Amino acid sequence: MANPTQLGFQDASSPIMEELVEFHDHALMVALAICSLVLYLLTLMLMEKLSSNTVDAQEVELIWTILPAIVLVLLALPSLQILYMMDELDEPDLTIKAIGHQWYWTYEYTDFKDLTFDSYMVPTTELLPGHFRLLEVDHRLVIPMESPIRIIVTADDVLHSWAIPTLGVKTDAIPGRLNQTSFITTRPGIFYGQCSEICGANHSYMPIVVESTPLIHFEAWSSLLSS
Amino acid sequence: MRRLLARRMKIHLFGAFLVSVGCATLYKFGVAEPRKRAYAEFYKNYDPMKDFEAMRAAGVFESAPPK
Repeated sequence: MANPTQLGFQDASSPIMEELVEFHDHALMVALAICSLVLYLLTLMLMEKLSSNTVDAQEVELIWTILPAIVLVLLALPSLQILYMMDELDEPDLTIKAIGHQWYWTYEYTDFKDLTFDSYMVPTTELLPGHFRLLEVDHRLVIPMESPIRIIVTADDVLHSWAIPTLGVKTDAIPGRLNQTSFITTRPGIFYGQCSEICGANHSYMPIVVESTPLIHFEAWSSLLSS
Repeated sequence: MRRLLARRMKIHLFGAFLVSVGCATLYKFGVAEPRKRAYAEFYKNYDPMKDFEAMRAAGVFESAPPK
């Protein structure tokens, strides 16, 4: 859940997001090292401690080619590791289709029973106490917790994007194309996201809410809805 | 003044290296490691069912109304 004073990411609720948070710390550390180096040298130059008439600088040219190459490798290796980790999909327990429309989402659970429903934002005037403005929906995407879930994302009209920051998921919904993403929720709860590709007047008003519950409650819910 | 730039470069390159590594180390042990520890501590004795029951009692779930 986002809060107005946060500076960093939301707390991770999936293993991939935990990896991404750690990688972000690593990348930020590298960026901080480079920026502090540049600032130090800039300060020295402004104080005229490093002026020179030299026009030939073969040795330093070598250093400032090799060192950035090493830094890039240090960034690329964990990045590629996480990229490939995100693509791993070991037999998901459930596959759900998420279809973007202007301006709502449709979810289809067609693995076992034929369950399809639309998910519209709850207007501000109809919010209940404890609900979040512009984030609540009338029908949430309920999933079993601690289970690998596959989401197949597409769109019916224009580009949309299905995103949940705390799960580390953002997948474009493109008409005529099926994009696949997967995640595991490490804990039960309600996870909020918003459409992340401009799609018209109500782009900001088509949120996504994922409800992660124990399997027994998920089964009861899906039986109730499909009957 | 002889070899002034060469002398200064040696000192300040070393200084610049210290500053940049120092900043990175400060961030690593001030932010990154505490964050990793916080996640490990949270999940060490985490009971998802207990957490779920507390949230259910608060009435936040659509699929699991309060008992």
